[in-house]
Amino acid sequence: MSSGGCDLDKAIQQLRACRPIPENQVRELCHKARELLIEEGNVVGVDAPVTICGDIHGQFHDLMELFRVGGDVPDTNYLFMGDFVDRGFYSLESFLLLLCLKVRYPDRITLIRGNHESRQITTVYGFYDECLRKYGSANVWRYCCEVFDYLALGALVSGAATSLVPTDGPMAENTNLDNFPDSDADIEIETLNANGEIMYRYARNSDSQSSQPNSNPASSSPIAPTPSRVGPAGTGATSSANGSVKNDTGAILCVHGGLSPLIDTIDKIRLLDRKQEVPHEGAMCDLLWSDPDEIEGWGLSPRGAGFLFGADIVKCFNYKNDLSLIARAHQLVMEGFKEMFESTIVTVWSAPNYCYRCGNVAAILELGEDGSNAGYQRRSNGDQGGGGGGWILGSNDGSSSNMVGNGNDRRLSSVLGDNMQRTRDGPGRRYRVFEAAPQDSRGMPAKKPVADYFL
Amino acid sequence: MSGQEIPDLRTLLGSRRGGPSRGRARGRGGFGSSHEGREALKDEAVRNTDQDAAGSRVSCVELGYLHDPYAKLFATQPATRRLPLLNRGSYVRTSAIDDLVDRFMNASTGPKQIISLGAGTDTRYFRLRDRYPDLQLVYHEIDFATNTAAKLTSIQRHPQLHSKLTSRSAPNPLALPPAATTYHSSTYNVHALDLRTLAASSEENTLPTLPNIDPTLPTLLLSEMCLVYLPAPTVSSILSSFLQKYIPEPTPVSLILYEPILPNDAFGRTMISNLSTRNIHLPTLLAYPELSDQRARLQQYGFHQGAHVADTASIWRAWVTDEEKERVAALEMLDELEELDLLLRHYCVAWGWRDSGSEGVFTKAWADIKEQ
Repeated sequence: MSSGGCDLDKAIQQLRACRPIPENQVRELCHKARELLIEEGNVVGVDAPVTICGDIHGQFHDLMELFRVGGDVPDTNYLFMGDFVDRGFYSLESFLLLLCLKVRYPDRITLIRGNHESRQITTVYGFYDECLRKYGSANVWRYCCEVFDYLALGALVSGAATSLVPTDGPMAENTNLDNFPDSDADIEIETLNANGEIMYRYARNSDSQSSQPNSNPASSSPIAPTPSRVGPAGTGATSSANGSVKNDTGAILCVHGGLSPLIDTIDKIRLLDRKQEVPHEGAMCDLLWSDPDEIEGWGLSPRGAGFLFGADIVKCFNYKNDLSLIARAHQLVMEGFKEMFESTIVTVWSAPNYCYRCGNVAAILELGEDGSNAGYQRRSNGDQGGGGGGWILGSNDGSSSNMVGNGNDRRLSSVLGDNMQRTRDGPGRRYRVFEAAPQDSRGMPAKKPVADYFL
Repeated sequence: MSGQEIPDLRTLLGSRRGGPSRGRARGRGGFGSSHEGREALKDEAVRNTDQDAAGSRVSCVELGYLHDPYAKLFATQPATRRLPLLNRGSYVRTSAIDDLVDRFMNASTGPKQIISLGAGTDTRYFRLRDRYPDLQLVYHEIDFATNTAAKLTSIQRHPQLHSKLTSRSAPNPLALPPAATTYHSSTYNVHALDLRTLAASSEENTLPTLPNIDPTLPTLLLSEMCLVYLPAPTVSSILSSFLQKYIPEPTPVSLILYEPILPNDAFGRTMISNLSTRNIHLPTLLAYPELSDQRARLQQYGFHQGAHVADTASIWRAWVTDEEKERVAALEMLDELEELDLLLRHYCVAWGWRDSGSEGVFTKAWADIKEQ
């Protein structure tokens, strides 16, 4: 495989057809990938717009469905939060395809490490056996594991917009229009199905978000410093404070598992020596293994690695690091995504019908681009996934006047003594939810997956 | 999910493709034969579930979840390591039923009877003999003739098994003719019987004779993933033939069921669809979808002194001691926690009984067990 795109494109084509590439090509690919990944920091910087994806677990045909729904590489900028391998039947094809895409389009796809990207875990959960079965030796598994050691531990997304332009698409069946916010409301969250039809839409600060209870005013989340910048040029807002808020979202930290009691700043992640097998304990292990939970502070994880962490930990970490959101994967959620702790952390899960058994749907999270000039880039495969629409860019949509900005919030909260806990408005979040690829698209009936049950 | 865990679909396909009834089974021969063809396939699929269970048991034993020196002797397929969550599930299932059975065994010193429906390769009789060498126990296993024949062959092949039988009572299993499907002694009995014949004959009052079933002994009926494969009315008739004819009142009787539940959520729907591709259908799952339905069902069978249910997730939490939990958790790294919880919530143990009340053997045995 020469450095040129041609052989690589051929390999991509072959892998897209779910056919493994020869062992010598894998070796070369992995070598190139390592050269590329070694240059990345432990925490990769990623600019919005970006589409964030959770666990894949070797469900190759569902990965293809993900690309159909979310757009293809390089048209869509992707960030995969690890757990590419194990459990599914096509870990090899899935991981090698992602790796090929990484080498071919290094700036359009980011791969970070999951707890399954490890020698120890892959020997128990299937990837090792799969390599052995498909190549007759463990060489390919070994090459892949060497790549695992170079994968980044996290990513920091900057430049995400705080609001969405409502998708101008059709409504999904059973969508309850009564709960939809007014057309001029500031849209924070939108959920679309695999056909780009709108399932839910939430306005920022609207009652429809009352499911996120306000936390105790005495809790730890402090107030962010006053932003120094004013609203972008051309703002139609009535005050600079209101106008500026559109772009005033903190960065989004993406990590496979979660936080670590040993890590209180992102800079401390940057200092870790990551180029090794995932250790059994310590900061690196925690980042890949921990889970958020409805507890206070830290707790022991029933997984035997990593920790549980509560809302106070997340809010404090986000404030200290000027984050508006933590995006992570690692835990199966039946609805594909789950926001917790007043939307300060979200779990994104991208393996539909996990292990061909769980019956769950999957999701990807799209973050739009902030900025006053860049237009929304329509996906090149708009005929497939997107229902049109776009992100609010800048704040010249005229709707910002009914929005309470951060600067204003602070003044209000000091006057009214209410419980303004959020330091940063979260980014506008568009979730695309999708189901498992149809069985008949998987081909090869002999390999038709049949899950295990107790019989 | 490694390759070895993929069930060999070719065995099912083989019987479908190569069977002499192919043409008829595809419908050209008229409804009757096509129906029979389908039913035969289903029966074969159900019979094959036994080796699935045997493999899971061996995997559990080899990793230290369960202590069962006999499991390996009955497994015909080479041992394959199951995923940690399946091992954990098998552990919970087996230890929960062991717990109920142990309490029954310890409830009194008198003789007792256990009837295991669809026993397959289950090793319980041999384990109980080791654990309670002095207790008077009459044990019965009922299954399809192909399964009982395989079981008796295993027993004949392994001295660890047949010596357990000869040391107690005649006849020597080694004296059985080749391909025997039944074995009878005063303590251990293997009956080759399609349980559905009980449902059919209970209507005609011509129940088959089941040698050595004692109508007076306190009796525990056990159905671990057995009756679930039959339609609910058939299950009711089978059970009433036991509860009224074979073991009539006032003999104390109990039933332990281990079955899946919650067919109507996403996991349950997927389970039904996945199993149907293996030709496995679970009619009572739809008839008794919730825990409360399982409880009501036990009452319906006449278990008025007790009718209790718990899903296996709650059993893991409430029945297993902290010390044991720690031991089991240390056996394998378990990364699939959410999936495990999902899986365990979809299986339940239900136990109900009829006896004389406060002094009854089952009332005493199971008084302290927490239901969900």
